[in-house]
Amino acid sequence: MYLDEQQSLDKALEAQLVKAANYEKWPLGQLISVFENTQEKAQQHRHDIVSHLERNKSSFPKLATVCGFTGAPGAGKSTLLGELALTLLKQDKTLSIAILAVDPSSHISGGSFLGDRTRVSIPYGEKRLFFRSQASNLEFGGVSQNTYQVVRLLRHLFDFIFIETVGIGQSEIDIQQLSHHTCLVMQPLAGDQVQFMKAGIMEIPDTYIVNKCDENILAQRSLNLLKTSLRQAQIVEEGVAEKTPIFLTSAIKKIGLVELGIHLLAIAEKNKSSGGTDPSFEKSETFFFHRWVMLGFGQFGLEFLNQMTLQTPNVNPDLTVDIRAGASEDRVPMTTFEQRKRAFLDAISEHITKALGESHFFERL
Amino acid sequence: MGTSDNSNNTGNEKHLLKDKEGNPISERPWIFRTYAGHTNVKASNELYRGNLAKGQTGLSIAFDLATQCGYSSDDTIAKPEIGKVGVPINTLDDFHILFDQMAIDEINTSMTINGTSMWLLSLYVALAEERGVALESLTGTTQNDLIKEFLARGTYVFPPDTSIKLIVDMYEFCLTRIPKWNPANVCSYHLQEAGATPVQELAYSLITAITVLDAIKERGCFSEDEFERCVGRVSFFVNAGMRFVEEMCKMRAFTQLWDEICQERYKVKNPKFRRFRYGVQVNSLGLTAEQPENNAWRILIETLGVTLSRDARCRALQLPAWNEALSLPRPWDQQWSLRLQQILAFETDLLEYPDLFEGSPVIESKVNELKEQAKAEIAKILESGGGIEAIKSGYMKSQLVLSQAERLTKINSGDQIVVGKNHWVEGVESPLVKDSDGGVFKVDPEAAKLTLDALAETKAKRNNVEVEKCLTQLSDDAKAGLNLMSASIACAKARVTTGEWSQTLRGIYGEYRPPTGVEGLTLDLENEKLDEVRQKIADFMKTYGHRPRIVVGKPGLDGHSNGAEMISVAARHAGFDVIYFGIRLSAVDIVQSAVEENVDIIGISLLSGSHNEIIDQLMNELDKQGAMEAIPVVLGGIIPESDRESLLSAGIQRIFTPKDYDLMAVMNQMMDVVIERKKSLGN
Repeated sequence: MYLDEQQSLDKALEAQLVKAANYEKWPLGQLISVFENTQEKAQQHRHDIVSHLERNKSSFPKLATVCGFTGAPGAGKSTLLGELALTLLKQDKTLSIAILAVDPSSHISGGSFLGDRTRVSIPYGEKRLFFRSQASNLEFGGVSQNTYQVVRLLRHLFDFIFIETVGIGQSEIDIQQLSHHTCLVMQPLAGDQVQFMKAGIMEIPDTYIVNKCDENILAQRSLNLLKTSLRQAQIVEEGVAEKTPIFLTSAIKKIGLVELGIHLLAIAEKNKSSGGTDPSFEKSETFFFHRWVMLGFGQFGLEFLNQMTLQTPNVNPDLTVDIRAGASEDRVPMTTFEQRKRAFLDAISEHITKALGESHFFERL
Repeated sequence: MGTSDNSNNTGNEKHLLKDKEGNPISERPWIFRTYAGHTNVKASNELYRGNLAKGQTGLSIAFDLATQCGYSSDDTIAKPEIGKVGVPINTLDDFHILFDQMAIDEINTSMTINGTSMWLLSLYVALAEERGVALESLTGTTQNDLIKEFLARGTYVFPPDTSIKLIVDMYEFCLTRIPKWNPANVCSYHLQEAGATPVQELAYSLITAITVLDAIKERGCFSEDEFERCVGRVSFFVNAGMRFVEEMCKMRAFTQLWDEICQERYKVKNPKFRRFRYGVQVNSLGLTAEQPENNAWRILIETLGVTLSRDARCRALQLPAWNEALSLPRPWDQQWSLRLQQILAFETDLLEYPDLFEGSPVIESKVNELKEQAKAEIAKILESGGGIEAIKSGYMKSQLVLSQAERLTKINSGDQIVVGKNHWVEGVESPLVKDSDGGVFKVDPEAAKLTLDALAETKAKRNNVEVEKCLTQLSDDAKAGLNLMSASIACAKARVTTGEWSQTLRGIYGEYRPPTGVEGLTLDLENEKLDEVRQKIADFMKTYGHRPRIVVGKPGLDGHSNGAEMISVAARHAGFDVIYFGIRLSAVDIVQSAVEENVDIIGISLLSGSHNEIIDQLMNELDKQGAMEAIPVVLGGIIPESDRESLLSAGIQRIFTPKDYDLMAVMNQMMDVVIERKKSLGN
């Protein structure tokens, strides 16, 4: 039965999952596609896989730290990520990293040109580093629904997930909903990002990176400029800007990468010590669930969702429990995105069917 | 007779070309060259000596891609490329054989070498010194234009700033030590191949020259007088296409603009040092694989553009062969092109007249238009930070890709007529391609062994302590920012290899991948074939739940990325998610990307003639990964008809050649391959 929690994972998928957890590239590449697929069958598989991963934490003990890297095109994000990943692999010999690079889709054809791979060189056969390109599918927010979907899988298999956003500059907010840590990558002496932040478009990042600091003088000047503009822009209270770490890097000359690596390792370490659960990812799930509702049902859908939770007060408003499970106070950790969708769809179709019988239905819309 | 007497008679003798004494003369012809080199040093040496005996007056050396990209022949990435598009050079021992029985103090040697040009010049200097030839007597050119490598040709090694530093090092060294050497050749040739319009060709190559001269000036290593001579050493390498009247005007515009830049920007007083000196290779891009014999006429017409006008005539000329769109040319094909030059220079009266176009209002107006537009573009780039910035930002590259896409669109639609390709395509089949060798040249695969053996022998015999010492010196000098010529020459003499020299400097300077210029480019192409492929994609998405994914890349060292870029742009336009992986990849890199990305099809592009070896590697790796069944492979490039059969049986699904210029027809076929494969797997 669809979305049955008790159903065990399809044997072929399970075998694929075991290989993927062992960083075999082809099975992992195929599994990621399951999380990007729109077919009914794929939804079921996603549910099965995520449930299986949650149930078998001893076999899949990873809980990745998700780092978002955003910034205007031309800041050298891809090159930096490639070099940073290689540096980290050297710093920690057991570490594994997945890079997810999102590029925009064409408004004309729906197709996309995903060119980030040209700037990243992964040594042949390096199992601990995995690179995947993804199209934005014309969604706003710098990352897409698919990005979230793929993170659902990868977080159980890797130590780090690096997400490189579209980087169009205007709407890069959503990456913060998906990452534990967000880095803003800038070019030297570029003031534009500060303008974005001032306009409230970009929330305050956790870390600033001034990349392309190929020369020392340039780096120092950039650092001074950035500090000055952060103060002038008054986007943060006195003293806060100083606390946000700033890194000066050059991917080409390999400057500042070791320091940035140590910084990120420390964040991952802190993340790990919070135990086997990840409340931050649960928030992401809710955010992307709401986004799914918004995309499919608009404001009406969101309001309906809100009412649902009000009418059934025992149900946690952030929907991390199964609505169909009724008034249980226990959180059901196995609840997947697919189950939430199913519950929501069941409820809303029931509501509409009922409402269609009432004459004032359309007035209410 | 004095000059004043002559001027009295000029009224009816304006058509005569005279010497200083006023005697009618015929001008000396340009230097006849043939771009050549293949297999190994021994075979190339024989070829050169043969060409010189046929009346060729200068050498134009083609190096294989490994040498150009800084890898020794025993490197994995180098192996499929050994001797394919040029001669492989690993150590000074190779140079001794390459120039065996040739008087290097007499011949003019042009080397098509860029990323590793300092290394090859060092080898040439070391050769001269070991032979006891005075450096002052050496004449020739190292191509050494890295800006066009980043834009079009792809054999760069180091990042832009470092590349310019090495060029300046060479100018500094050559001016005093090898005064007759052109340390760098500014190339507009490859820009046209990459799609440049005449205006872009003018603007971007002059920007290149300005970038180099500004860097030399900035170093401050020359006195005013020396700098003037240094400007005089800047030479150009230009392309000539089918619109030969416009091309002739372009050459006149070049001459005038260069004179203005030298006077205004660099205050060069001596007119001799402001002269626009250039060599030409006429256009290969316009040569067709269809009815290839027509290319003979095209080559002739293109030659006229750079020879007719005396004031803008080339200094040296090399012609492609009629069958270059099919494969690498054979000696006979090259000889046929050389004969064209000889007939034009010696059988016609071309060289007996002063400039034929002086005073023509039509020509003058056209030249002025080109100049004005080029000046505007130059000013635009200089205002936004100059040549290096325009490389890093991808500005110039994106402009070229745009022009190329427009050109292809016009050919696709038939607006630009190409005889035998999109018009008058029916015809009697050419007997020229009916030879037993299929009318194409093939490198003997066994010949690579000689190169590898020679390299192993040199490595075994050399003094490794000395090698280490020289490489350490090179590394120290690089870190200290010193001129690297003298350390490189010492390396050459110690029998350091091409790979070792390059790797040492890579370790310090890093490697560079320039912007692709494809991002953000849209294709203006609407036709029924597009509708057809979009429908196929829509159906596919409904059935399989995802957009078709393709990875496009160029395995091997060949950097001519235009084809791969155009396919990528077209695929996105059709509706594919295109993972563009770029150039200089090994076959296993491409497979690794394909399995990570879980693509529905792999599209690879190959022009260097190394397709058989590379396809073998690629198919083996796909098999090893277990993805052979799931992921089909299509191939595009210059693939001889005679190799088609074996490639198809190796598992290649479709082979696209320059004949398949209709991009959406190609897209349709690729979708067919994707769908066929899915169905055969029972999906």
